[in-house]
Formats: sequence, structure tokens, C-alpha cells
Amino acid sequence: MKVTIVVAGLAILTTAALGQNAPSADTGKVVFDKWCTPCHGAVAPAGGLGDGALPGTSALRVKYNGELPAVLEERTDLAPEFIETVVRGGLFGMPITRKTEVSDSELEDIIAYLTRSNN
Amino acid sequence: MALPPNVSEEEFASALSEFAQAVGDEWVFSSDEDVALYRDSYSIYWGEPEERVASAAVAPANVEEVQQIVRVANRYNIPIYPISTGRNLTYGGAAPTLSGSVVVDLKRMNRVLEVDEDRHFALVEPGVSYYDLYNYIQERGLQVMLDVPDPGWGSPIGNSLDHGAGYTMAPFRDHFGSRCGIEFVTAEGEIVRTGTGAMPGTDTWQDYRYGVGPMIDGLLAQSNFGIVTKMGFWLAPMPETFLTGTVTVPRYRDFDALVKEVSYLEDSFLTGMPSFGSPAAGGGFGQASPQMAELMQDGWPSVERLEEFVSAQGRPAWSVELRFYGPEEVVRASWDAAKRRFRDRVAGAAFEDGDFWRLPLSAEELATNPRKPLLGVPALEIFATMARNPRTNDAPLEGHADLFAILPRKAEAVHEAARAMSDAYGELGVPPAHHPFSTPLNFYSRAFIVPAIVPTWRDPARNAQSRALYSRLVDRCAEHDWIVYRTNPAFQDQVVSKLSYNDNALLRFEEKLKDGIDPNGIISPGRYGIWPASMRSGRA
Ligand SMILES: Cc1cc2nc3c(=O)[nH]c(=O)nc-3n(C[C@H](O)[C@H](O)[C@H](O)COP(=O)(O)OP(=O)(O)OC[C@H]3O[C@@H](n4cnc5c(N)ncnc54)[C@H](O)[C@@H]3O)c2cc1C
Ligand code: HEC
Repeated sequence: MKVTIVVAGLAILTTAALGQNAPSADTGKVVFDKWCTPCHGAVAPAGGLGDGALPGTSALRVKYNGELPAVLEERTDLAPEFIETVVRGGLFGMPITRKTEVSDSELEDIIAYLTRSNN
Repeated sequence: MALPPNVSEEEFASALSEFAQAVGDEWVFSSDEDVALYRDSYSIYWGEPEERVASAAVAPANVEEVQQIVRVANRYNIPIYPISTGRNLTYGGAAPTLSGSVVVDLKRMNRVLEVDEDRHFALVEPGVSYYDLYNYIQERGLQVMLDVPDPGWGSPIGNSLDHGAGYTMAPFRDHFGSRCGIEFVTAEGEIVRTGTGAMPGTDTWQDYRYGVGPMIDGLLAQSNFGIVTKMGFWLAPMPETFLTGTVTVPRYRDFDALVKEVSYLEDSFLTGMPSFGSPAAGGGFGQASPQMAELMQDGWPSVERLEEFVSAQGRPAWSVELRFYGPEEVVRASWDAAKRRFRDRVAGAAFEDGDFWRLPLSAEELATNPRKPLLGVPALEIFATMARNPRTNDAPLEGHADLFAILPRKAEAVHEAARAMSDAYGELGVPPAHHPFSTPLNFYSRAFIVPAIVPTWRDPARNAQSRALYSRLVDRCAEHDWIVYRTNPAFQDQVVSKLSYNDNALLRFEEKLKDGIDPNGIISPGRYGIWPASMRSGRA
């Protein structure tokens, strides 16, 4: 057991040193487009369900009433822990996302993407 | 950490390490934090002792690993619960039916094995979502159309194994009904193929589904007789065009004629999924408007009162949108024929042309098209109906448990169901959702569904009310001899107990099969009321 942990630890150090595992906003955008845009995108179907916006976007428009952008990708205030809590725990209609769907490292990438313009 | 029933901590730890040998450490999830990801986000028991929770999850990459998992589970007597994409929201999510089960998460088995553009079928693994299959088809420009449920992140296999349904033409929108050929792993770890797949080297596995002898496919849906690892589905060839038209009929009484004529058209394969509505009532489905509540305040109104109401509105009592798929000449002729038949049969029938699109639509056209599921295009837009909105801003819905009652395609049955459900809501002091102009859904072409959408919360008190309502609706439906097409694990024993013909002979037969096929009762114990012998005594 000990051996495995040491080896795994080394592997992380090495790849991190090589920059391979550093969270990437570019990869994050790809993962976001697949798993989040269907609810959080800006482009909504004309005359569709809800308030004429995608589910996440329409909910956040109501929630923040113009004080914050309704489109998640336009936000500059999202804390990494908050994003992680919502993705792994769900929030109202937004259900839990499992690691076989969005892995921990892909979630790091999403976080890098959503926080890329944070103040 | 939750443990499987009657398994010690030591035994469980060594089972987990054997699972890890099978699939790799990375794919065994046993920390509290990881196991919590298999909770049902919409659980009607959220945070209560009865909430169904896993003890661990294991995610195999291929069928050999599934076999090894099953063998380990058998050795340690550990209940396992297979999921494909695990998005069974409103019907249990990714959580097992029996708490303490190990979820077998098949999401990593995500290969599209074949899509045949000439014979119109697909063969997929369980982790392939509707999005994945759609993208595979798009990337190759294959001229076939999927039939998808509203949420596109589910899977053809997971959805069909819970008898899910979609929106296009009759043979395709019944997803289990459109399957052709199944591969599954038995509780003993053997691989079985159904239909002509039982013949090594067959080239008809996705063309002819009976094979020879009994067709056992049905045993794998809404049940616990095996873990499905591959499944074939028939697809529609890409239709050249899509056309819609709406028929309205003026009077309350005309619903009967409308229903009969729509059944004629559907059963003649002349229309896709019809969509009923009530212009007079301002809609047919969902929360009853204040106007409907007022109409019902002195009890269920008489037919005369309803006819007066309709005349006062100055709008037709009922509508149906018909959807036609095919070459332009054919869809236009079908719509013309439908209009002629309605004109001949219902005085005052009126018609309105709807959409006409050449298929397939481009990606740009689809982005702003609100009718994706009607075109077999996956989306998640349906979640807008439950997302926070100005009305619910103070307490947005956290989930829902759906109850879809199966009825005969008769106008009077629809009215009776709306009334029975409305009464059940009223008895529990819940504002009514049904009313005299409630309309049916037509997912299954040969039956009507009258739905009830029961809210769920992360608050025990409100969930207790929701459970009382759901359970009352199940009882009330059964009094009228209606059953639901599918239900959440919290209500599976109750629902199955209503199948009481000849002293529940059907369930007793299934139990005998269970004992023979899965003697240790390891696969999905309790799913749809089928418990292994060792757990049977407590059932309702
Ligand atoms: C807003 C909303 C709208 C919805 N609309 C629709 C709709 O239009 N149509 C519809 O059908 N549903 C609908 N649903 C219900 C549900 O979300 C979908 O049916 C969804 O596709 C089911 O999840 P899944 O495909 O991931 O299946 P899974 O969760 O993977 O599987 C469902 C169940 O089948 C069994 N199972 C799965 N895989 C296997 C296997 N390989 N071997 C053995 N048993 C297995 C398990 O018991 C599992 O729990 C809706 C839900 C919501 C919240
Ligand atoms: C099924 C639709 C859906 C999907 C898919 C979805 N979300 Fe959401 N999300 C919502 C809804 C609805 C809300 C609003 C919840 C509320 O009302 O507070 C939300 C809220 C959020 C919030 C909270 C924002 C705030 O300020 O309150 C974050 C962060 C978030 N989502 C991130 C994501 C990410 C990242 C993904 C992809 C991994 C994702 N969501 C996928 C529907 C979705």
C-alpha cells in the first residue's frame, strides 16, 4: 500500500512539474460546453420553455435580478469552492455531477475557466 | 460509512480491494465524499434514514470487469446496483433501491459500437448518452434520426431499461419497444446475448429480435435479472421534412370525437406524437390556473356548466397538434387527409398550419429551435420548467417525483383521472393541478398518460407531505384500476402490490425466477418489488 502511495505522489509531482496537470481554462471551456452549456449557455431557443432562456441562465437571471450576469461564463465573482460545492452537491434543479462524468481534474479545468477573469 | 446489509467492515474492506483489483484503485469510490455523489439529487427522503444510499461505487471499463465485479459480489454477498448514465431523476437518480448496495457505474463503458445508416440501427454500450450517440451520428453525417427523452444526458440503455419514452413516431418513442438485441452479464458472471445474438457471428442481431424460442429481453427492464452491457436500437431514417398542424374542436363534449380520430391517425402511422391542449382553459397540463380553481370551487362542474364556460371564453374547448414526418408530398397529403377526416366528423373543427422544416436542420438552426426533442435532438431545456422563476423565487423547486398513470385512450377516462387526482390533492389540502380540461400525454401510442408532478425538497417536513400525496395518488389510481408506467424506489413495493391479479401471481412468478437466476440475490435487490428470498418476508 505504502509503495503505491509514494509512487502516485511522485507521479503527481512529476506531471505538475511538467505542467501537464495544471488546470487549463481552455480545456475547461471544452468540458463546460459539454456538461454545462446546455443549461448555462447564452443562446436560447426562441419561444422556448421557462423565461425564454436556458434553465440555468433563466434561474440566475431571476436569482440576481440584473445585479450579476445571468450567464455563468460572464461572472467574475465565482469562488472555486462555491463552483465545486454546486457541481458536486447540486443546487435546486441542478443535480449532482459524478466523477465518472466530470473528473476532479476536469472540474479544476472548469473552475480555471469560470474564474479566468476574476478580480 | 454505510455498509451492505449483513456484511462486516472487514469483509467489505476486502471486497473493495478485490473490486479495485478488477477495475483499478481509481475506479472504486468509497470515501463518504465520493459515495455522496451517488445520492439521488431529487430524493423524496433526502437526509432521512430511509433515503436510499450506496455503500460504495465501482466503475468498470469493459464487460470482463463487469464479470469480475459480479463474481466478487457473489462471494461476499454484496448487493450491487447497475446504472448506465445514472440520470434517472424523479425515478431515483443514481441511488440504489436498497441502501448499502454498491453502485456499478457503467458510465465509462461508452463506446458506440455501430450505427448502420442503411438498416437504421445502433448498437451501444451503457455509458453512451443520447448526446454521445447524436454527436457520433453528426460527426459522420449519417442520415438517421434518434428518438430522445427530454433530458439528453441519459442513455438509450438506462432510459429504455426503465421503460422511458420520447417524442417522435410511435415505433421509436417507446424506447424499450425499439430495442433489438441485448447482451447482459448474469448474477453468476456469464455473458448472454438475446435474439439472434445467441448465434456466434450473426449479422442479424440488430435486425431480428426474436431469435428462436422465448424472448427474454423483457426480464432485463424494470427488474434485477442481469447487468446489460450492450443493446441494439432501431432508428428512424432521417425524414426529409417535418410539418405540424393544429386541430381545434369547439365544445367540451367534442373531446371524445377528437380522441377517437387522433387514435385512428396514430394507429394508421399517419401522425407522430400528438399533443393535446385546451385553448379555453389556457393550457391542458400543469398547475390549475386561478380561473380553473374558481370553476371547480363548488365541486366538479356539470357538462352543461363546462359548455357554458367554454362559450363564455370564446375559444375552442380542445386542440391537438399533429406532427408529420416524411417527404414533403406525403406530409402535406397526410395533413390534408387529417383535416378532411376531422371536418367530416366534428362540427366546427378548425385548422391551423404550424411549422414546416426540411431536415436535418443545421447546428445554427437547432441552437435557437425550441422543439429539439421532436426532432430527435438531445437537449436539457426541459429543466427550465422547474428552474427558479419569478413565481418560485422564494422557494425554488428542488426536485420532483413523477407519477404517470396509464389510462385507456378514452375521453371519459381522462376526465375521470383528472377528477380523481384533483380530489386526492384536495383531500390533502394541496392546490389542484388537474381540472376538467386536463389533457393526456401520448408517450406510448396505445395508451394515455395523465401525469402528476409531485415536488421534492431537501426538507423532511415538506417531503413528508409530498410522500403522502404520491402514495395517495397511487392508491386512488389503483381504485380506478390504473397503474403508473414507472416509479421511484420509494414507491415500487406499493405500486407492485397493486398488480394483485390471482394473488399477485405475476410477482410470485418473478420471485421464482429471481431465486433461480440470482440465488444470492445480489443484483438490485427490491427493484420493482422483486426481493431475493432472504429479504422477502418484510415486503408489503
Ligand atoms: C425534467 C425531467 C424530464 C424528464 N423527461 C423524461 C422523458 O421525456 N422521457 C423519459 O423517459 N424520462 C424522462 N425523465 C426521467 C429520467 O430523467 C430519464 O428517463 C433518464 O433518461 C433516466 O436516466 P438514465 O438514462 O441515465 O438511466 P439510468 O439512471 O442509467 O438507469 C435507470 C435505471 O435502469 C436500471 N439500469 C440502468 N442501466 C442498467 C444496466 N446496464 N443493466 C441493468 N439495469 C440497468 C437501473 O435500475 C437504473 O437505476 C425526466 C426527468 C426529469 C427530471
Ligand atoms: C440541468 C441544467 C443544469 C446543468 C446541466 C448545469 N447547471 Fe448549474 N445551475 C442550474 C440551475 C437551474 C441553477 C440555479 C439554481 C438556483 O436557482 O439557485 C444553477 C446554478 C449554478 C451555479 C450557482 C450560481 C449562483 O451564483 O448561484 C453554479 C456555480 C453552476 N450552476 C455551475 C454549473 C456547472 C459548472 C455546470 C457544468 C458542470 C452546471 N452548472 C451544469 C442548472 C444546471
